[in-house]
Amino acid sequence: MSVQLKAKMAKGLKMSDEAFITLLVVSAAVFIFLFASLLVPNFFQFQNVVNLVTNNWAVISLGVGVTFLLVSGNFDLSVGGIVALSGVLAVWFAQAPGGANALASGFGMPTWMAMLFALFGALAIGGLNALFVVRFKIPSIIVTLGTMLVARGIAQVITHGSQRNTNLPDNFGFLGNIYLFGTSIKLPVVLMLVLVCVAVVIEKRTIFGRLTFWIGANPVAARLSGIKNARHQTHLYLFSAAIAGMVGILLASEFKSGFSSRGMLMEFDALVIALLGGVAIAGGFGSVVGMFFGALILATVTSAATGLVLSPDWQYILKAIAVFLAIVAQTWALTLKNR
Amino acid sequence: MTQQQSSALSVEGLTKDYPGVRAVDNVSFTIKQGAIHCLVGENGAGKSTLVKMLTGVLQPTSGSITVAGRRHCPRNPQEARDGGIATLFQELHVVDELTVKENLTLGMEASRFGFLVNSKTDEVAIETLATIEPSIDPEARVASLSVAQKQILEISRAASSGASVIIMDEPTAALSEREVERLFAVIRRLRDANVTVVYISHKLDEIFELGDDVTVFRDGKHIVTKPLDEVDGRQQLIELMIGRTVFQQYEPRDIADAEPILQVEHLKTSLLKDVSFHVNKGEVVGFYGLVGAGKTEIARAIYGADKFSGSVRFNGKEIGPTPHDAIAAGIALVPEERRTQGLFTNLTIRENVPVMNLEKISTTGMLSPSRERQAAEHFVAQLGIATSSIEKHTEKLSGGNQQKVVLAKCLFAEADLLLLDEPTRGVDVGAKTEIYDVIKALANEGKSICVFSTELEEILGICDRIILLYEGMLEEELLNGEDVDIAHILNVVTGGAEHKGQ
Ligand SMILES: Nc1ncnc2c1ncn2[C@@H]1O[C@H](COP(=O)(O)OP(=O)(O)OP(=O)(O)O)[C@@H](O)[C@H]1O
Ligand SMILES: [Mg+2]
Repeated sequence: MSVQLKAKMAKGLKMSDEAFITLLVVSAAVFIFLFASLLVPNFFQFQNVVNLVTNNWAVISLGVGVTFLLVSGNFDLSVGGIVALSGVLAVWFAQAPGGANALASGFGMPTWMAMLFALFGALAIGGLNALFVVRFKIPSIIVTLGTMLVARGIAQVITHGSQRNTNLPDNFGFLGNIYLFGTSIKLPVVLMLVLVCVAVVIEKRTIFGRLTFWIGANPVAARLSGIKNARHQTHLYLFSAAIAGMVGILLASEFKSGFSSRGMLMEFDALVIALLGGVAIAGGFGSVVGMFFGALILATVTSAATGLVLSPDWQYILKAIAVFLAIVAQTWALTLKNR
Repeated sequence: MTQQQSSALSVEGLTKDYPGVRAVDNVSFTIKQGAIHCLVGENGAGKSTLVKMLTGVLQPTSGSITVAGRRHCPRNPQEARDGGIATLFQELHVVDELTVKENLTLGMEASRFGFLVNSKTDEVAIETLATIEPSIDPEARVASLSVAQKQILEISRAASSGASVIIMDEPTAALSEREVERLFAVIRRLRDANVTVVYISHKLDEIFELGDDVTVFRDGKHIVTKPLDEVDGRQQLIELMIGRTVFQQYEPRDIADAEPILQVEHLKTSLLKDVSFHVNKGEVVGFYGLVGAGKTEIARAIYGADKFSGSVRFNGKEIGPTPHDAIAAGIALVPEERRTQGLFTNLTIRENVPVMNLEKISTTGMLSPSRERQAAEHFVAQLGIATSSIEKHTEKLSGGNQQKVVLAKCLFAEADLLLLDEPTRGVDVGAKTEIYDVIKALANEGKSICVFSTELEEILGICDRIILLYEGMLEEELLNGEDVDIAHILNVVTGGAEHKGQ
């Protein structure tokens, strides 16, 4: 009775570290947007906010898988490579055989089948990640760095280091170019929003989400508490690879091409937005909502820089500063709160 | 001791506030030079918080500390050491990757021109270690030591630091009688060298055996400081601590016709040498032995946490090789070390409790927040976990309350066989009796319980049958009762029986 009462009182007075950090990230995103609006003419427009989200659907989608893995204490640097690989595979499988040259001929599968098999290719990379991280206990940062190169390497071989975009069935470009009810919002953007919502529910309301936190917070205690760490981490790597595979296929459909350099450095952007969003690199802490707003922060910074006609060469430095400040601010805020 | 003792350390109006909690509340008292000064109080009374302020880990909200007549306001443990205060913290702080020797001198390495050199401190530390536990090899990697051995390592490090005040926060929580005896010899030697020792423990017999003075805390407040000679026995000390008396003693239970539920035969690991025993339904079996005798190894083998050879049958069937299988079969474990093996320290009490029984808080994979909350609230009330809310992160609980959360996790599993490895480690006397009552009630419901403990008092207090271990061997099994011969037990677990036999 008195315990319950106290619990209620405490809830009213204090918030959890996670809610606190998320609030901090959201405020930072709003603040940075307003600040950019002061500097950049015509920045303060609703359409601009919409653009910040829609232009970043790919990275945010990847960020979902990467966030879950980070929370479980693992890295996934292979997602950018998978984006390239799955796109290239989908195109190659769908291209009609007997084209004018090697880059113009493929397997002639129906579009749906080509896309499905491309997804299997992506899952294979995810399986490889899981195999080496979970079974052979090799640090995930090394494994996924390796598979990132493997995936992109295969894509390069298939495209001879360039791209495949001819001899494709017409319906190949369908999925990536559906617009919603006459707006400028494409299907992939909607899929991304659905994915984020589903991920939030999984994270907060399911055993699957909770397992992720337990494993990341203390793998030894998790095992001794009867959790099958290996199985869960395998699932996470497969999910992350599946998301990346779908992103790659949607991009290939949008541009009607398979390009071996597509998704270059996306793995780093996905990592950066997760960190900006308050996901702890040590595992056991973080949220998808935080990651989403982390993505908005990064998008605002880069697009404001473009608006200020800074040359694109400055982008990396800007990103670096943003990440650095964000992480310092979070650590500092948490110690302050818990002093 | 001399009559006219000067003060080694005194605190004046010391207060520490956490958000929502006043952990230490306007405390003033003095510790005499060259004395062994004990601090006692319930879990969450503020003992560790006081220690952390003395050693610069935490800054007081208000109040002052005086050491050897000088104002002492360290900003970190290094500054506290420079001011003459060394500490053995309640939680382990060893570096697994380094060797024992390197750990011993960590933070006080002698260096010349930036290069490490061997120094006097190294030798003193290694010698102290050898005194307390000669079996630990200074060149061994710390990762290969057991939790208790790590604790001994930390004790040696603190004891040989050359500081004038040494604080020990529950140094013996994982140690058995023999190591405790040796530790006491070291502490007494320190006292003879005019070193002041501040000693925190929930084992009251130790306090009476070792201490010169005692300070009692309750709810963050200072209750009394006085010489132990003036305290009228254990019961009075308990009353000062918790405001009431507790009493517990073994009452024989009638379980003669129970059938065996667990059968262990020819269990062998790198440490265990052919151990066979059984546990009956509704029985409380105690495993007693020194540090390194194999208690934890038995628990972990049954639970599937370590590899072993031999046969373990539960309800007549082999259990699978992982903890997951063990839990599925109806076995739950309280592991030896709460922070590294039991708790998810950056999660809340609510998020910690249900992990071993996911079905009970979910339907088809979806969490039920209300059932989860109820579970946490139930155990906070049942085990008396001192916290402002179930939403408190477990790293912010006091040591004893963290232990209760680990126990809650295990109880929530609703297992038929509970393996409790040092279940009341760091838990205060009052809460201990409550936990014993919970254990007895479970046994009366027909659950079986194995208690692995270095505390003979605990074993004798609740176990129906006692299994004595020595260096990985099962030496003897005896029934508990009024006629148990404590001298004989101590003789067996220290290898006495062995030598007689030869
Ligand atoms: N970082 C923190 N944030 C909030 N409250 C804290 C924090 N650390 C400790 N507390 C609270 O301060 C109080 C005193 O804790 P402390 O660790 O000093 O107890 P203790 O006397 O050492 O108990 P034990 O015997 O269990 O080790 C407890 O109520 C605890 O919950
Ligand atoms: Mg303590």
